[in-house]
Amino acid sequence: MTMILTILFYILIFPGLLFCVTAGLLLSGIDRKLVARMQGRVGPPVTQPIYDFFKLLGKETIIPAAANKKVFLTAPVVGFISLVTIALFIPIKLFMPMSGVADVVVILYLLCIPSLALIVGGAASGSPFAGVGISREMVAIIAYELPLAIILLTVGKLAGVGGVTFSFDEIELYQAYFGPNIAHWSMLPAAVAMLLVIPCEAGSHPFDIAEAETEICEGPLCEYSGRPLAVFKLNAALKTFVMPALFTALFLGGMGTGRLWLDVLIFLAECFAVMFVSMTLPHAICARLKVEQTFKFYWTTVTGLAICSFALVWLGV
Amino acid sequence: MFKKLIKKSAGKSPWLFHVNAGSCNGCDIEIVACLTPRYDAERFGFKLAGTPRHADIIVVSGPVTSQTKERVLRVLAQAPEPKVVVAVGSCPQSCNVFKGSYSVEGPLKNLTHVDVEVCGCAPKPEAIMAGLVEATKILREKRGEN
Repeated sequence: MTMILTILFYILIFPGLLFCVTAGLLLSGIDRKLVARMQGRVGPPVTQPIYDFFKLLGKETIIPAAANKKVFLTAPVVGFISLVTIALFIPIKLFMPMSGVADVVVILYLLCIPSLALIVGGAASGSPFAGVGISREMVAIIAYELPLAIILLTVGKLAGVGGVTFSFDEIELYQAYFGPNIAHWSMLPAAVAMLLVIPCEAGSHPFDIAEAETEICEGPLCEYSGRPLAVFKLNAALKTFVMPALFTALFLGGMGTGRLWLDVLIFLAECFAVMFVSMTLPHAICARLKVEQTFKFYWTTVTGLAICSFALVWLGV
Repeated sequence: MFKKLIKKSAGKSPWLFHVNAGSCNGCDIEIVACLTPRYDAERFGFKLAGTPRHADIIVVSGPVTSQTKERVLRVLAQAPEPKVVVAVGSCPQSCNVFKGSYSVEGPLKNLTHVDVEVCGCAPKPEAIMAGLVEATKILREKRGEN
């Protein structure tokens, strides 16, 4: 009985639903505020994404005549569930509520689902703008998935002494003994590559080719309104928390202080720092890239960095 | 619990969709000026949406020419309720210098309900901002009724 209650607590409140939704909404609010300050504007209040979410909940939901109703409405929810699941599996320092259930490969699969939900939902809406948007989203997935897989392999090779490990437990324990992974100089290129993967995965500004609102009317989201749109916006906010959290777990893990609340605060501060470097700064200083520029950038520069790090780790330098 | 939050949020995150109904581009530039660092409409939560499906406030500029009339009405129909229509510039109010032209079908209020009118040719960004803030008040009232 207590076990079921504990698991429910994990899923619904602390590393799961409530915690990651709040953290995601506030982090994306801070992101918007900081971008505004860097552009010399006052900017919206930090709570703006929360207002946006609740406003969209109160709006009318229009389902286009050309749309497949069931797929159109379930796609955002599927993406949301998979993002909350990822948040459950990411260890906060040495606190791993679902230890042993899932490893890094599961995270890799789960990270695909929100983007796929966007593609499926866009395709179900029957809009030509969504058609252009989903083809761009597919290009983005192909672009960042390759370096991301190599990065995870590199971390696994470093942490799995002798072999390759995909277990979060072993990666965190390795970091607890030998210091955070980012302190190994052979991991630095992989860390930089991961920082560059985050904005594309989260659909943040220089790489938001799929949702280019000035070119293709927000792409896959073109026909969405009201509640399903609110869930898609929530997914985007969750990604601004989940992706930096994954970086923190893979590269900035370690001993922690032993007190959970302090660990959580440190973890959130690290997530904020990662988000600032990887999402806020590029958003403030870069214009949106073209589709082929994004693809080329990820398959040459970012993949090159990841492979460089992988080779160094493999040679045991 | 959520009802209160939804009602509170209704006026705090108004997203704009801008329709050019045959405008000379003067008002459009002034609307864009509202989003620049000097006036920064985003501090009230305003955001330029890419599609009418996301919009709370439809901003119309221009005297509504015969070519754009049908499109304007279609865009207004595509926006989900509750929505507010803001007419920016003298053209949608009175057709301005284009009044009497064979190709002009305005003013806008003959075609649809207009909630807020911002006059001027072109209106100052301050005036547009005042109009938009007025529109958020109407949005909140409309949310309260529903």
